[in-house]
Amino acid sequence: MGRYIFKRGLISVPLLLVVSFLTFILNSLSPMDPAEVVLHAQGVPRITDELLEETRLALGLDRPLLVRYWNWFLSCLRLDFGDSYVTGKPVWSLLGPAFLNTLKLTMVSVVAIIILSIALGVLCALREGKLLDKSIRGISFVLTAMPSYLLASLLVLYFSVKLDLLPTNGMDTIGSYILPVTVITISYAGIYFRIVRSSMLSSLNEDYVLYGRACGLPERKITRRILRNSLQVAVSVFCMAIPIILGSTVVVENIFAWPGLGTLSVNSILSRDFPIIQAYVLILAASFVIVNTFSDMVNAWVNPKLREDG
Amino acid sequence: MRRFHYFLKDKLAALSLAIISITVIAGIFAPWIAPNDPEEVHMELRFASASWEYLLGNDHLGRCILSRLIYGIRPSVLWVLVALVASVGIGAVIGFIAGYFKGRIDAFLMRICDVMLSFPGYVMTLAIIGILGVGLENILLAFVLMKWAWFARIIRTSVMAYAESDYVKFSKVLGMGSLRIMRKHILPVSLPDIAVTSSSAYSSMVLQLSGFSFLGLGIQAPHAEWGMMLNEAREVMFSRPEMMLAPGITTILFVTAVNFFTDSLQVALDPKLGISGKKRQGRPDSVAGRIQRNEVA
Amino acid sequence: MVKKQVVPFLVLVVAALWLAGCSSSANSEKESSANSAASSSARDELVYATAKDINDMNPHLYAGSMPAQGIVYESLVENTAEGIKPLLAESWDISEDGKIYTFRLRPNVTFHDGEPFNAEAVKLNFDAVQSNASKHAWIKLSSMLTETKVIDEYTVQLELSEPYYPALLELSMTRPYVFLSPKDFIDGETKDGVNGYNGTGPYKLTDHKTDQFAVFEANESYWNGAPKLKKITAKVLPAGETTFLALQKGEVDFVFTDDRGADSIDVEAMNKLAESGDFQIVRSEPMNTKMIVANSSKKDSPAADAAVRQAIWHSIDRETIGEAIFNGTESAADTLFSSNVNYANVELQKRDYDLELAEKLLEENGWVGEGIREKDGRKLTMNLYYDVNSSSQKAQAEMIQNAAKNIGIQLELFGEESTSIANRRTTGDYDLLFNQTWGLAYDPQSTIASFTSDSAYRHTTSGIPEAEELYRKIGEVMVSSDEETRKALYQDILTIVHDEAVFIPLTNGSVTIVAPKDLQGISFKQTQFELPFEQMSFSR
Repeated sequence: MGRYIFKRGLISVPLLLVVSFLTFILNSLSPMDPAEVVLHAQGVPRITDELLEETRLALGLDRPLLVRYWNWFLSCLRLDFGDSYVTGKPVWSLLGPAFLNTLKLTMVSVVAIIILSIALGVLCALREGKLLDKSIRGISFVLTAMPSYLLASLLVLYFSVKLDLLPTNGMDTIGSYILPVTVITISYAGIYFRIVRSSMLSSLNEDYVLYGRACGLPERKITRRILRNSLQVAVSVFCMAIPIILGSTVVVENIFAWPGLGTLSVNSILSRDFPIIQAYVLILAASFVIVNTFSDMVNAWVNPKLREDG
Repeated sequence: MRRFHYFLKDKLAALSLAIISITVIAGIFAPWIAPNDPEEVHMELRFASASWEYLLGNDHLGRCILSRLIYGIRPSVLWVLVALVASVGIGAVIGFIAGYFKGRIDAFLMRICDVMLSFPGYVMTLAIIGILGVGLENILLAFVLMKWAWFARIIRTSVMAYAESDYVKFSKVLGMGSLRIMRKHILPVSLPDIAVTSSSAYSSMVLQLSGFSFLGLGIQAPHAEWGMMLNEAREVMFSRPEMMLAPGITTILFVTAVNFFTDSLQVALDPKLGISGKKRQGRPDSVAGRIQRNEVA
Repeated sequence: MVKKQVVPFLVLVVAALWLAGCSSSANSEKESSANSAASSSARDELVYATAKDINDMNPHLYAGSMPAQGIVYESLVENTAEGIKPLLAESWDISEDGKIYTFRLRPNVTFHDGEPFNAEAVKLNFDAVQSNASKHAWIKLSSMLTETKVIDEYTVQLELSEPYYPALLELSMTRPYVFLSPKDFIDGETKDGVNGYNGTGPYKLTDHKTDQFAVFEANESYWNGAPKLKKITAKVLPAGETTFLALQKGEVDFVFTDDRGADSIDVEAMNKLAESGDFQIVRSEPMNTKMIVANSSKKDSPAADAAVRQAIWHSIDRETIGEAIFNGTESAADTLFSSNVNYANVELQKRDYDLELAEKLLEENGWVGEGIREKDGRKLTMNLYYDVNSSSQKAQAEMIQNAAKNIGIQLELFGEESTSIANRRTTGDYDLLFNQTWGLAYDPQSTIASFTSDSAYRHTTSGIPEAEELYRKIGEVMVSSDEETRKALYQDILTIVHDEAVFIPLTNGSVTIVAPKDLQGISFKQTQFELPFEQMSFSR
């Protein structure tokens, strides 16, 4: 057991290294001169060759790529991601609060998604093929087919403008969570509840259920058993959902002016503020790798059969 | 073939398939079907309501909305389909190799997939656009780059399951070549899995493209695209909310059809919903992988 | 087993609720400060929407928001419609040879942190700017200013290497020649960051939360009297419908066209809002000219042919652009500078919207053929670049493209980020692109000076036959001290670029303000980048 966890953990180290390297060279892939990108980002009205040369030196662009990468990587480990091109502030001082804001939005949404999809998933699985199951699935298909910005616009038009109940932007009160969380929840619950439903259904077909029924176990006990087994799948699925949702709140944040990672990253990409983009991609990728490793470990712990699958 | 028959008996599925086919055909034959030139500007017809000549009215430059919707199928539906086919193709090749040969090749390929899958897809797509510039081609390129690994993973899992089956072992014993085994025995049985995953990925890709258009990063003007039409309508959302109707309903209708189609496909190819589910259940990475790229636009 | 799953779930739920709770309690104060202006009964606060954060407020660099810098910092002199007026300098003398400027400073002015504003502070600021001169290459003065001398506590002398008539104009600009408290300098410099943002202006920055809001409070000891609006909040909102909604709901109560392009506000919706009675719409006189810039130096491009440029000029229905795309908020422009710009009241031949004439021009110059015209086997195809964030540019591009197609010109449209458009302008990798003149305070001298600059319009102007002559005249006009000579030179310069049609004007842009009905004293400055908030007040 310990060996498996150690092995699984060890794999993620080179993975993180490769990921961080790819993140770092993103900058170099741009057809534009990085020094020029910096100066444009700073809004300097007129760029001279002399200034370009100065900027290259100041950024250390004259040093070899690998050296720059290694220095960057080492300082990243200390949460020092360099300074933003645009504002000159340390990246972490911008990314940190934004990360926290997006995390808040994500956590609240994930909880809503979990509650909604488990409730609906179980309900539909137990009523498989009945009208309720069909209509819930039908509605979910339509809702997930709606581009989230359209959904957001409609909700805002109705709840904020017509009824004047909820704020339209920012994250000032508890009320400002309602609309963005609703949009995210509707977009994702449709996907996750289907996973819960199908894992419930496949458990229903398992041998132990038949056996239990044959032995005359009370139906309530069987259902509990099924629930427990499907929850196991659900846990690993939801673990994975956190970094995914963390990375895809871009549109929703933009509509509701949520001061989070999505807004920050779009602004940074548009102004080519590479240190922020790099740090953002790296943090999300790292959290993805870590969550992934963690959920594999949990699964291996719960289900010893998997350990040899490594 | 019997499965297909079963599929057609499901009325909803037949309807979805009809909607999808009509859309695709309309897109391919857009120049013959569209009543007007989608790029012809008539400033005097700005925001005109429906007329016999312009069945769905005119947009902010007086262009025919219906024609733009029809031409918009090309990028919104067909090009996304091309990107999907490309990423599934790459994913299938890699997934087959990894799942069939296993061992070191598998480990190596899967590590590459791990790397690709670690990147937040949405943001990487944005970053690629940021680096290469705005435009449909770059978004599609980003789609292929970011999605093939996911398909490779899923296809590998399904190939692995079938590679263990007796008839494959038997064929190996008979001395059949690897390529032949893959083509003859593994491809046909893993095709349903591929079909289901790619069709579920398809709807999220269509939505994502429309999301990028919403952020103003999509196709270049003056070409029509549904997301861009919605974006243009959004600017006059308070004075002319009706402008959102046509592109909005079209998008929802099409994606809903794809969703229903996927669902029916899954049921039809897998009547118990348990068979491949059972095989997968033991593999958390496939369940995780299955949802991994289901980002919503 | 069950416990194992339930515990993480509970932890997750609790954590989420705690996080949400936390944020709301922590933000409720901020929220009241950010939102109360609209509803407060005192009516001396304003919340304006801005598309981007105010960013780095360092006045000696360029990342910050200009409207925000404009109310925090001040320059020696001010550019008004009546010419240069005193601001932090009460008066000044220019030596006979035009090389020495002596300023007598306003006494009893203090920075927001209490530091006195005096000749030492001026020298410190100017030296800091000069030590980073390569970043200020756009402003000619930075290459000519040789020394700043302290004469006495309230007298400073600037020494120039050669006479330069727009010196006072450049000193009046929002940046970089404005003043930051000496206490905020780091080792006597500002180029690597500053310790604070204390200026001498009517407002001081008191709170700033990146990508959320910035709060400016009235400087009670402002030398020109404390402003009546006590608090101004800049709230970051994406342009478009979110801003409009916030305005409608009273979450912000002031919106204006800022330097970050808030032009995607739906004009019709704005007008409806104004009709509802709570808001007024105020528009400035024309501030700048929006135009298409043609690359005359790209020899293999049809854009290098003057006839093609003139044909495009004739093919653009500028009246309709103003009427339909800008809903009548902008007027058609016939020349590069509108006639209210200094020295720009010049007789120039007007080019009307006339497709037949455009076709004739093309025919006469050898561009012939069905469909897309050709000349010597070259197709009449060009790329037109527009700012992808500007919906009005996109609409104009689509309209122009369609009109051009009808006369046999094929335009390929490319929406790009403003930085990559700036990059194209620098490298000359374009045929046509959207641009605008810099605005009243900068026109014509800065815009014309940039004709020769690599990073601006060098590629636009260098391909025309009279390029040599043009550059010589631009060089002369900048140093000429005689008003009549200057007028004559400007006339020649404007005539050359007009005849060559390298700058194809579209419309005259102005600054639009949407403000509460009872806000008074709304006026404009000579630049689209700043607003005089200190003159505004609410009527009871």
